[in-house]
Amino acid sequence: MSLLTAEQQEIKKTTREFVAKNIIPNAAEYDKKGEFHAFLLDAARESKIFAMAVPKEYGGLEYSALTQGLVLEEWGYGCAGMGTTLAASILGMDPLLVAGNEEQRQRYFDPIVKGGIAAFGLTEPAAGSDAAGGKTTAVRSGDEYVLNGSKCFITNGGYASVYIILAKTDPTKGVKGISAFIVERGRPGFTVGTVDHKLGIRSSNTVELLLKDVHIPASNLLGKEGEGMKIAMMTLDIARPAIAALAVGIAQRALDECVKYLQKRFPDKLQPGQTLQFKLADMQIQVEAARDTLHHTLQLRDSGAPFSEESAISKALCGDVAMAITTQAVSLMGSYGYTSEIAKLMRDAKIMQIYEGTNQIQRLVISRAVLAPAPAAGAAQKAGK
Amino acid sequence: MNFQLTEEQQLIEQSARDFAKEFLDPIAVQLDYTGEFPKAVIAELANHDFLGLHLPAEAGGAGAGFVSYVAVIESLSRSSAAVTSIINNQAMASYAIQTWGSDAQKKQYVRAFIKGETIGAFAVCENGPTTGIGPDALNATKTEDGYVLKGTKAYVRNAGEAGVYVVFAVTDAADPNALTAFVVDASAAGLKVGPRLNTMGLKGCPVAHVVFDDVKVPETAVLGSLKAGREIATRVLALASVAEAAQTVGIGQAAVEHAAAYAKQRVQFGKPIATLQAIQTLLAEAATDCYLARLALRAAAQLVEDGKPFEAEAAIVKSFLARLGSKILVDSCQVEGGMGFSESMPLPRLFRDIAGTTLLDSPADFPDYAIAASIA
Repeated sequence: MSLLTAEQQEIKKTTREFVAKNIIPNAAEYDKKGEFHAFLLDAARESKIFAMAVPKEYGGLEYSALTQGLVLEEWGYGCAGMGTTLAASILGMDPLLVAGNEEQRQRYFDPIVKGGIAAFGLTEPAAGSDAAGGKTTAVRSGDEYVLNGSKCFITNGGYASVYIILAKTDPTKGVKGISAFIVERGRPGFTVGTVDHKLGIRSSNTVELLLKDVHIPASNLLGKEGEGMKIAMMTLDIARPAIAALAVGIAQRALDECVKYLQKRFPDKLQPGQTLQFKLADMQIQVEAARDTLHHTLQLRDSGAPFSEESAISKALCGDVAMAITTQAVSLMGSYGYTSEIAKLMRDAKIMQIYEGTNQIQRLVISRAVLAPAPAAGAAQKAGK
Repeated sequence: MNFQLTEEQQLIEQSARDFAKEFLDPIAVQLDYTGEFPKAVIAELANHDFLGLHLPAEAGGAGAGFVSYVAVIESLSRSSAAVTSIINNQAMASYAIQTWGSDAQKKQYVRAFIKGETIGAFAVCENGPTTGIGPDALNATKTEDGYVLKGTKAYVRNAGEAGVYVVFAVTDAADPNALTAFVVDASAAGLKVGPRLNTMGLKGCPVAHVVFDDVKVPETAVLGSLKAGREIATRVLALASVAEAAQTVGIGQAAVEHAAAYAKQRVQFGKPIATLQAIQTLLAEAATDCYLARLALRAAAQLVEDGKPFEAEAAIVKSFLARLGSKILVDSCQVEGGMGFSESMPLPRLFRDIAGTTLLDSPADFPDYAIAASIA
């Protein structure tokens, strides 16, 4: 039985059809070539799925967080590389939801509604888990800012029409000296550097971005100067469940493929065969627990309750489950698993523990919440718990 | 009880490390990229006496014993587990022929293996639920002067490069559990190597299905006696699982050491990440798993060397690494974060390789069953 609304079930069904038609048949080929799946942006344009997080007043679909999670799970089920393009584009738009003013929203949601994608530029060679350690600078000059520096591991970097770039506006102020900017594709001095070849999600586009004297209007500043890290952290709170949703999709796919294979090749080992039965049951326990935890997080967000800790829990849990389940699936499928598309699921799963905050960073967030002084009596009941 | 290698074993291990530095490190990345069979390396392995390490001196081998063999495999695997997959599969064929073969078979094949002139392949696996059962099972039909082989061997390592295949076939349709081993020349008419399969890792060690389309072999192609194949396969596969564990430990150790070196130089939050306890824990657990696996595999290897039963111990090593082998790489990559996911760095290759040395058991032969049976 599903607790989803009729509308959510319908969206899930439509997405599944889209994934079956456009994603699954192309996933292996693009993974093998390590080539960006530009065709998918065309295929998805009409549905406006890349604008599913954009409010209706700007022409988007304004899906709830839970509904977005359902869509992302289906994309992750089909291909986490392609799903990553969608998740990272939403990540690139989230800062506008967090801190964009009316004019900025009007201007920058538009290219996404029309079929473009966005990118989020936080990471730098010296700023990975230590996200505030970046060296990119933005210097105010009249009614402009001039940006200099570089970003690395930027998903969608080679194909986005809009970028959010974090840069230091006041190097003396540490975390509070960082600001967030909107940078449009094609600004002089804003170029793509090396393209990364990765263990998994190989058809997603991961690049270095180079900024050399890039002039942008001062009106491209998001929020106020110095609010960049705050905006980035709020953005990541929203975005992490998207990664968790992709991870659940990967895990579910691995389980489904595994069951299909074992039923075909080893029917006599499944019935009776407690070793296999229990291994499959354990996989199902993990997938179901991961999905339920994620859905709870998304519902908290939809209800307006705080969800930062739950967001970190979902990301860590779902990422770890995806890694464990795909490893188990390859193991249960033996040489067939090792020489088939199943191995891709295992390669794809690894990034779920790494990007948008490693699962160690999630544990830092979670442990801080666990160790925080107990709230005053009466305030302890969290919404939804 | 001595857990240390003897002086002689240490010398052999050191020679393998030196060899790996000189001949494997320079080609490992390219080998992974192209997947081309490393012919020149095989010739050098023969020149350095590594291909006959496990074989007795009278057969032309080094007579070094199985403990030395696994120490060498571990050392070489730190640099390229694709190369050690080729060596291990060839060793399975050479061991089988040396142990069960006729004088003529030994004379014809073993020295050629040791000299690297012929590559051997050992092919048990089939596409059915278990060897001997299923529509593609390899069947051997008796003729006047030999046998006709028909069927398919699946996921054969060294396929296409091998000059000779040790295969297992059903000779008595009424008794499909009784297999017979055959030594088949790659040039035999009707032996067809299928397209090379795309393995996630261990690239450079070719894997393909091998189709036997009415392949005629003489009576003398039988290895050992009729219906002795199951016993041969079981013993060789148990040996191979110890050798495979040595590959895993080599890959794992290389990964842990790389991750530790990375952690020492990667500065975040104003200090090397190696100073963070979360990173120390990841490294410590991975190093612990490598260490315990090495002890366990050496204990099993010592039993082999002493001629004692080792099957349960081999299964224990295998089961341990099926659970934890991949985790060593999952966690080592994690230490390196985004760099641990970038194919410009070594760990993704090791991640793909270790899956190939730890996860390929079919549900038909989970080691757990053998372990459970051994607990009296």
